Amino acid sequence: MNYPVWELPMGGGVLIAIVSILHVFVSHFAVGGGLWLVITERHARRTGDDGLLAVVRMHSRVFLLVTLVFGAISGVGIWFTIALVSPSAVSALIHAYLWGWAMEWTFFVVEIAAAMVYWYGWDRLDARTHAIVGWIYFVAAWASLAIINGIVTFMLTPGGWLQGHDFWTGFFNPTYFPSLVARTAFSLVQAGLFALVTAAFLPRTPLRAWCVRYNAAWVLVATLAGAASGLWYRAAFPGWSEAMLGALPILPVVTRWLVLGTAALALLSLWPLLQPRRWRVVGAVPLVAAALLVFATAEWAREAGRKPFTIHGYMYSTGLRVADEPLVAAEGLLAHTSWVDPAAITAGDPVRLGGELYRNHCAPCHTMDGYNGLRRWLTLADEATIAGILPRLAVLRGRMPAWHGNPAETGALAAWLATRRSTESPVPTGATQARRQAWDVSCGLCHTTDGYRPLRDSLAGQSRDDLAALVDSIQDLTDEMPPYSADEAQRERLLDYLAELAATPAGGGAAIAKGATP
Amino acid sequence: MISPVLPFIPAPDALPLPAPAPLLQALLLLTFTLHLVAMNALVGGAVLAVWLRRPGADRQGEAARTATRIGKVLPVCVAAAVSFGVAPLLFLQALYGRWFFTSSVLMAWPWFAVVPLLIMAYYGTYLESFRGTRLGRLRTPLGAVTAAVFLLVALIYVNNTTLMLRPESWPQLHFGNPGGLQGHTGEPQLLPRWLHMMFGAVAVAGLLLALWGQRRRATDGPGGMHMRRLGLGALWTGTLANTLAGTWYLLALAPGVRPAFLGGSGHATGLLGLGVFLAAGLLILGWRAWRRETVALAPVTVTAVLALVVMVAMRDAVRGLYLARHGQAPAAAVETQGLNIAIFAALLLGAVATIWWMLRQFARPAK
Repeated sequence: MNYPVWELPMGGGVLIAIVSILHVFVSHFAVGGGLWLVITERHARRTGDDGLLAVVRMHSRVFLLVTLVFGAISGVGIWFTIALVSPSAVSALIHAYLWGWAMEWTFFVVEIAAAMVYWYGWDRLDARTHAIVGWIYFVAAWASLAIINGIVTFMLTPGGWLQGHDFWTGFFNPTYFPSLVARTAFSLVQAGLFALVTAAFLPRTPLRAWCVRYNAAWVLVATLAGAASGLWYRAAFPGWSEAMLGALPILPVVTRWLVLGTAALALLSLWPLLQPRRWRVVGAVPLVAAALLVFATAEWAREAGRKPFTIHGYMYSTGLRVADEPLVAAEGLLAHTSWVDPAAITAGDPVRLGGELYRNHCAPCHTMDGYNGLRRWLTLADEATIAGILPRLAVLRGRMPAWHGNPAETGALAAWLATRRSTESPVPTGATQARRQAWDVSCGLCHTTDGYRPLRDSLAGQSRDDLAALVDSIQDLTDEMPPYSADEAQRERLLDYLAELAATPAGGGAAIAKGATP
Repeated sequence: MISPVLPFIPAPDALPLPAPAPLLQALLLLTFTLHLVAMNALVGGAVLAVWLRRPGADRQGEAARTATRIGKVLPVCVAAAVSFGVAPLLFLQALYGRWFFTSSVLMAWPWFAVVPLLIMAYYGTYLESFRGTRLGRLRTPLGAVTAAVFLLVALIYVNNTTLMLRPESWPQLHFGNPGGLQGHTGEPQLLPRWLHMMFGAVAVAGLLLALWGQRRRATDGPGGMHMRRLGLGALWTGTLANTLAGTWYLLALAPGVRPAFLGGSGHATGLLGLGVFLAAGLLILGWRAWRRETVALAPVTVTAVLALVVMVAMRDAVRGLYLARHGQAPAAAVETQGLNIAIFAALLLGAVATIWWMLRQFARPAK
């Protein structure tokens, strides 16, 4: 609304995902690995095990190179990336949580300094001082996580902050503690995981086997703790049940992979635990992959759960504030969009203005052919259908913000979107898939068969002619339903699908339609 | 004067600033000065190390040993530059986010590239620090590439911090390439400002090297002496080059801004006068210390610190004058978060004390 939108063919969300998944994978290691170092060093010194002490020292070098360089810089990288993709949201966060970031910075500086003194101090510090520096590192790193966690969870569940904008109310929000426990647990998973990798490079001695078993135990115990905290987290997740029924089609998919990844992590850690002598570095590959899957899907679920907001209930992904919606709805979108090409206004071409509207209000989340790609759906719709859907965006499954364009703006955007249609037919060749697609791009945008806003029961027993009459007059049913328009072949395929649905009782075969979300 | 591009300057954030602007401004300038010292040590140090290993240089003598010593500490300099860089970026975004976020989006790809570039160069410094001679023939090229990447990162930073002052260039840049695959290379300030910063970096790194060498003379006479002489030479040469780059920079300032430094504004003109005076002082004191090894370094160090502070203040004045050309937007509302400021201050003190304690432990003789 206020800021220019960076046109990124892959979609800004994908870039944020790439940077942040890599960062959290390492930054959680930076926290948990700190605890691993001090605890393992203490054990080595108490037992007088010089071999183990050498292992800790070797590992601390890997730790330094991975966390201080990649971890620290990619953390700054997330900040860079989100400010490029969602400048309005970052501006709001900087205003609301400036002192949170500033507090975090003090821990960040201590963390960096302690990591360096710890590494460079192996030969300079006495054992006790070295251990204290290690503890300083871990406490600072964990405190840094605890503060960032407050701001990240605030974005998902700002809770009472929405009334009165109180810093600490938003900070200790409904998902703060479950998320903190989950992140702490998975930081310990990372500690064990990275140490398993370095242990694979040790010479084959009993010490190596001990290290492998010890690190596998870190992974297993922490994974189980993380899984338990995940269940707690779920209870505080906004609109969880509805989202899992299909209101947010991506969530059930992501959650399934998250559960799978967590289970794989626990199961795969049993191998080094039970067979430590046979541990090899290739064994770490599936473990690392499982951990990456867990981090990727957990962060994805969090981001998806926040849709369509960047700060839940306060600001949409487009930069529009909830509080400004009535004004924008009354005055039109273009009046509240700063970055409209003056040449497009001078030309007065509605299609070109539609393109400007798209860049400012759709491109923050959508691409044409990549992430949240629109072309596939647009190609199956005509301009009238597009114009009919736009005012109803907030009703769609997948959680979209309301469209506040006035009729002229809606027409302009629809006209521009219609120019984006592909000339190649996107209809699948298989009859079943083609019928399913006809459903996906019409009814499936808002309904499921048996989950969220289910249709099966209300269609049960209706004949094909009844269904045809219903489809042709669907706009009369409620104000929220747009008229159905499609070519005859597509209409026939939809009727086939509906007839099939009407004839199949619930649980009688067809699974819950997950539907495509444009 | 209200220029016609004003609609493109984002409105102030709807949320209030959580502290009075002067406090944020003070924190911005203070932390930026710290960042500058660390950044100068890093970039200047990397450049000096390359100079010491230039083709034809003695590979065995003091020059090579000094280059190795610099290489050992560069990773620490990166860590310090990044740590002290986060805070000013934060306060900058709070005070000038409307300009800064916008200019970042307009040059999104180069700006984003800072992240992978820094990671690369950071690993470059660790390779040199940890592997040193084991790098063999790759050592010199690696150092050169690392230094070049840091110089490039600095250029991208200067590009963004000048583009944010140029709303009149924004629409053309964005609507010409909304993909953000561009810099603002036509900016007259770009090259002189970057050169000014980089010559300054060489000068400050030189001074730090000289101070290090001076300390080292007690245990390693020839080595310490070499570091002192090289460092003071870099300080003097860098400062001399900066008188030229500084003049170019002054001439490259926008017509609406330059006169402020030439009598139009007491504040700006006073700062420039002070800067010129301190630069002259640095050249005289630096020359004496460079040529005579018995001359103490305290006077030149104090002068350099003052010069650095004046440069930071002058840079701030340039920013203020540029932004004022488009009419300062109505001041954002302020709702001071007193408790949080107090917590931050306490944590900052705790951090300083903790780091001081750790460094003291580290500096004690080895166990």
